[in-house]
Amino acid sequence: MTAKLLDRSAQTIAAAVKGGAVSAREVAQAALKRIEARNSALGAFTDVTATRALSKAEAIDAARARGESLGPLAGAPFAVKNLFDIKGLPTRAGSKINRDVAPAKADATAIARLEAVGAVLVGALNMGEYAYDFTGENAHDGPSRNPHDLNHMTGGSSGGSGAAVAGGLVPIALGTDTNGSIRVPSSLCGLFGLKPTYGRLSRAGAFPFVASLDHIGPLARSAGDLALAYDSMLGRDETDPAQADMPATPVSPTLSDGIAGLRIARLGGYFARSADGSALAAVDTVARALKADRVVQLARADVARSAAYLITMVEGAALHLERLRTRGPDFDPDVRDRLIAGAMLPGAWVTQAQKFRRRFRAETLALFRDVDILLAPATPCRAPKIGQRTFVLGGQEMLVRPNLGLFTQPLSFIGLPVVAAPLWTDGEKLPIGVQIVAAPWREDLALRVAWTLEQAGVVRAPVATFS
Amino acid sequence: MAEAPLDSFDPGAVADALLPLLGLTATPESRAQTIVHLRIAAEHAHKLLSVPPDDADEPAPVFTA
Repeated sequence: MTAKLLDRSAQTIAAAVKGGAVSAREVAQAALKRIEARNSALGAFTDVTATRALSKAEAIDAARARGESLGPLAGAPFAVKNLFDIKGLPTRAGSKINRDVAPAKADATAIARLEAVGAVLVGALNMGEYAYDFTGENAHDGPSRNPHDLNHMTGGSSGGSGAAVAGGLVPIALGTDTNGSIRVPSSLCGLFGLKPTYGRLSRAGAFPFVASLDHIGPLARSAGDLALAYDSMLGRDETDPAQADMPATPVSPTLSDGIAGLRIARLGGYFARSADGSALAAVDTVARALKADRVVQLARADVARSAAYLITMVEGAALHLERLRTRGPDFDPDVRDRLIAGAMLPGAWVTQAQKFRRRFRAETLALFRDVDILLAPATPCRAPKIGQRTFVLGGQEMLVRPNLGLFTQPLSFIGLPVVAAPLWTDGEKLPIGVQIVAAPWREDLALRVAWTLEQAGVVRAPVATFS
Repeated sequence: MAEAPLDSFDPGAVADALLPLLGLTATPESRAQTIVHLRIAAEHAHKLLSVPPDDADEPAPVFTA
């Protein structure tokens, strides 16, 4: 019974714990058992924090026995991409190099906030090295594998997060998204994923990649869990200098407010090219369900993607330059050589990219005067096979690794909040996601649309079937 | 306008000049891949530089709603 509970939402688990139908310890034990059973196939976890999880679960059970009020995620297991600081563990950030750093002295803010509402951390998750990845393949820990077909990618760089949630190991995982690293694995693994507005959630205690583009956010199997995890992490944290001082208004109470009156349009142009039929059909399905007939253009989205690409190369290289000098052979070669190239790019290109970023943001904000929600594909195709180096999009052969984020990169470039929502087609083993994009600080609207689509059965995120 | 500097952007020459200046070493395989990534970056830069810059554009990545 407890094992079956792991296939349900975090909210259902918390309700069972709060109601006494199951203890938090029983849930934690079941989660640890499931991780042990499935992780060798999935490559999701790199560290399992069993002792800590059981201790936290026992504390929740003790609080319940004392009649104390429990938080909204009481007893719900969660895990984090291994770039989040976990007290007592080195923060490896997908690398071999960082395994040599001292253990973290404190938990990342996001972990502390989830635990404060009762969630139980069960471990750290596989990821692409230093988050410079869209595939979910890691040269040191092996690839994370798509639970819906183990021969296929999870997407990255939060690949372990995708595998852990879609594989039923945890109902909620944290990831990070610089250019698409929450939305790509959400799409390929069939999950809900939220990249909030830039500056919304504290990144304190998360190993950086490109500071001016980095976001943290949750992946989950329901829009309700996604919203609840987001709500739990809200709030000012002055240890993240990029965090904006915005009100911590929870969105969960507004999910069922409906979408009447929302002006919803799909993005054409760039977002309707270089995608295979499944990606465009997914947007068609969502647009039809939302009665969104209108198509609007985000002019020069291709240039935005190019600018994001260059900023990423240069900021990433600047972050890792000393490690490139001293530990070059210890990098994943695919990551290292991109970083080395980034260290060599002319400064004028990057300054122009930043200038364009400002202009592109202004033009996009103008678009939001006339529309509330934009729809776009999350990935150009379903999950490629593990090890696949190229794919053909729009008749052109492209590298998989940098191009799975074709449609996510122009949007995170200007920090817009986006929910990735998963669709399934009859007869297909693999899902694909649609991006639901809102204006800055309007995560509530994107989540309302995702929740409405989920209630209507248009999008869903089932646990993968294991024999 | 934008084409001239990119036409003269030689990834191999850039790599050979800057590797030692940056204190980096590269195996022949790594050098070859670095050149591939420099070439891809130059293609992105070409697209970016096709948008005429304005001297008054502000480059600071401040995000305000």
